[in-house]
Amino acid sequence: MHVDLAEFRSAYLDEVEEHLNGVDGLLMRLEDGRHRGQPQLRDLRELMRLLHTIKGLSAMVGVEAIVVIAHRMETIVRSTETSGHRMDEAALEALMAGSRAMASRVKALVENRDVPPPPDALLTALNSAMSRECSSAEAAEVEFDAGLGDKLGPSERQQLLEGVARGLRAVRIDFTPSSERARAGWTITTVRDRLGAVAEIVKVVPIGAPRSAAAPGGLVFALVLLTTASDATLAEMVGGSTADVKSLVTTSAPAAAPYAAEEIDVAEMARPGVIRVEIERVDEAIDGLSALTTTRFRLSHAVRRLAQSGVDTRELSLVMADHERQLRDMRAAILRVRMVPLTTVFERLPLLVRSLTKTSKKRARLEIDSGGAEVDKAVAERLFPALVHLIRNAIDHGLESPEERVRAGKPEEGLVRISCETKSRQVEVRIADDGKGIDRARVAARAGRDASDSATLLSLLCAPGLSTRAEADATSGRGMGMDIARRVVVDRLGGELALDSTGPGGTAFVLRIPLTIAIIDSFAVRCGDERFVVPVPLVDEIVELEASMVVCGPCKGDTQTRFFVRHGATVPLVELAKLLRVPTASGGRQALVVRRSREEPLAFAVERVLGQQETVVRPLDDPLVNVSGISGATDLGDGRATLVLDLVTLSARLEQAEAA
Amino acid sequence: MNPEAITSPSLHGASTLFVVFRVDDTNYALPAETVLQMESFSGATTVPGTQPFVAGIIQLRGHIVPVIDLRARFGLPPAPSSSESRVVVGQLGDRIVALVADSAREVLRLSSEQIKPPPRVLEQGAGGFVRGVAQVGTRTLFILDFGRVIGEEAFDA
Repeated sequence: MHVDLAEFRSAYLDEVEEHLNGVDGLLMRLEDGRHRGQPQLRDLRELMRLLHTIKGLSAMVGVEAIVVIAHRMETIVRSTETSGHRMDEAALEALMAGSRAMASRVKALVENRDVPPPPDALLTALNSAMSRECSSAEAAEVEFDAGLGDKLGPSERQQLLEGVARGLRAVRIDFTPSSERARAGWTITTVRDRLGAVAEIVKVVPIGAPRSAAAPGGLVFALVLLTTASDATLAEMVGGSTADVKSLVTTSAPAAAPYAAEEIDVAEMARPGVIRVEIERVDEAIDGLSALTTTRFRLSHAVRRLAQSGVDTRELSLVMADHERQLRDMRAAILRVRMVPLTTVFERLPLLVRSLTKTSKKRARLEIDSGGAEVDKAVAERLFPALVHLIRNAIDHGLESPEERVRAGKPEEGLVRISCETKSRQVEVRIADDGKGIDRARVAARAGRDASDSATLLSLLCAPGLSTRAEADATSGRGMGMDIARRVVVDRLGGELALDSTGPGGTAFVLRIPLTIAIIDSFAVRCGDERFVVPVPLVDEIVELEASMVVCGPCKGDTQTRFFVRHGATVPLVELAKLLRVPTASGGRQALVVRRSREEPLAFAVERVLGQQETVVRPLDDPLVNVSGISGATDLGDGRATLVLDLVTLSARLEQAEAA
Repeated sequence: MNPEAITSPSLHGASTLFVVFRVDDTNYALPAETVLQMESFSGATTVPGTQPFVAGIIQLRGHIVPVIDLRARFGLPPAPSSSESRVVVGQLGDRIVALVADSAREVLRLSSEQIKPPPRVLEQGAGGFVRGVAQVGTRTLFILDFGRVIGEEAFDA
């Protein structure tokens, strides 16, 4: 029998990732609260609920490794909650390690790798925390009935035995999906959600059944539960009768403190008015929109031609203006669907700060003010590594040791502050620390260059291999971090990285990132017989080239270096046609000046700049055509694929080719 | 369609539908289940910096699809594209890749007994692109290994 659970998988990964973020946040809060002596009950219950959900979801798609970890974590939290004791440090450490192990297993799943079993050291730590927190479960007889017995793994059997020992009922309830039931809102997902509110779901076993009127899909889900709820309640939750409920216990176990499932706020589990949509579906809508934009493009061309031939197009132009605005509104609406709050990126950071302060022996507090900022999901995903490196730098290089801080009259605990502000189509993320600032003189001495202005200083800091630290340590100090942060912000997001403050009050970096990267403002250029598209943010200036401006440099082999003078500086000039090997009769008449983040400007000569427009960029993901310098392709209205050039990377490739 | 194109399904082995196309004077075939569609070919957008056998990219129903020039892939001299030129669009896992052939117009059914392993010389000479050989009437068909042609294995390495 084969049941395809693949369709549940992406929804599963999304949901579990979200819950894991929640788990991390709660663990941090619990630790914080432990120091301050604050009550923990609420957080413990919430943590229990999240772990419980993670376990249930993972059992459903058969990710045994996560089930095993989540189950142990849940048991620890539950017994702390029922005992009313405070959670001890070792238990918290074990729980944090558990959370990290689950996260790395989720990552393995996302990357289609095999999920490694839970590390023995972790299980030992969790088990010992478990045995400290709860008395050992007494044995009870649980019957695993035929057809189900071999579907239940050792950890699930153990979980059932422990549950029964805690005074819960072990039951099996069957749910038979059908299209009729689905229409009425009874699917395995909704049933799982409903049951999850009143029972602990140990496992969901899909079982093949002969196709019949009762089981039109030839499929029955057997849900194995631990619960205090009555048969009638359970039957109600699956939309069936009490005949669907079978007890798995043959001898009753001594009653222990019952698990108060009903105490969990059911209303909290379902957020009304919120739907979970697979990103592919949103992308379908964007594809449709891009087709519409393309048609619109052709339409406006046609209208312009009509007007040129002397036809009165005034009314048509009015309609076109309305159409344009509606298209813009619709695009904004669709793109809003893809927007996620930046807090989803930030909530992973406290854990990072915690582990960095431990290894660096510094004390730091992280303050986050997201300002309600939202960015496209793709932007949020790409942004994270840049934040990691900048925060690492803030803690390792920016903040002083507690002793140094006290000597400087600062509080022992350093502050790293992230704040956000949304400005038209960009969001500004500021990462500031109250550390010692950057030693300009030392950076300049290391690089052997003057670093008196912030832009130069930043470019020196971002040069791979530069470190103001004499010794490289485990996490940073090799200068790689800044280089990666800059590349993420500038190259991958088309944004900007700036140095805002360097004085003794601390260092601040500002990231200006576009809210979305699916649609970009771009220049279309002609180059030989081909057209190309260049994102506007990458272009500093468009220059009309005149023969008198261009100077030929000395020849090296058969490649002649050309320059032109701009604002009193010589700018190297590259024939784009030559670089891309496009046959062309004439030389470039216009040039795009590209601002490179580290070095002097560089210009690309093209035949003509055709105009500026908004372009939907599709990435070239296939390994056959995924080359550096080409960020994707777009349709300019002729049905052909036009390349979107990343001139910054192209120029880097050029430099490499020159060096070779 | 050619009368020899449809052979009755064998009683002994499973039969599979194949898409047949021509490159130079040779007939090649891909299992129909691999092939998503066939389209006439009017040139691709060149992507600089790719391997020599990559003709570029084309746009198919809003998707960007890389195109492999089979002549270049098989080490044959280039030929100008004609009204006969076709792209055979195949899918392997997540990847969708188009192959340019000189012409393509046939679909035929082959039984598993008809498909023989490639001769050793051919196996080595053709860089593993040929998975099997089938004799249909007087014609020889080379069954392609789509994964090898699109470089799936090379990229995994």
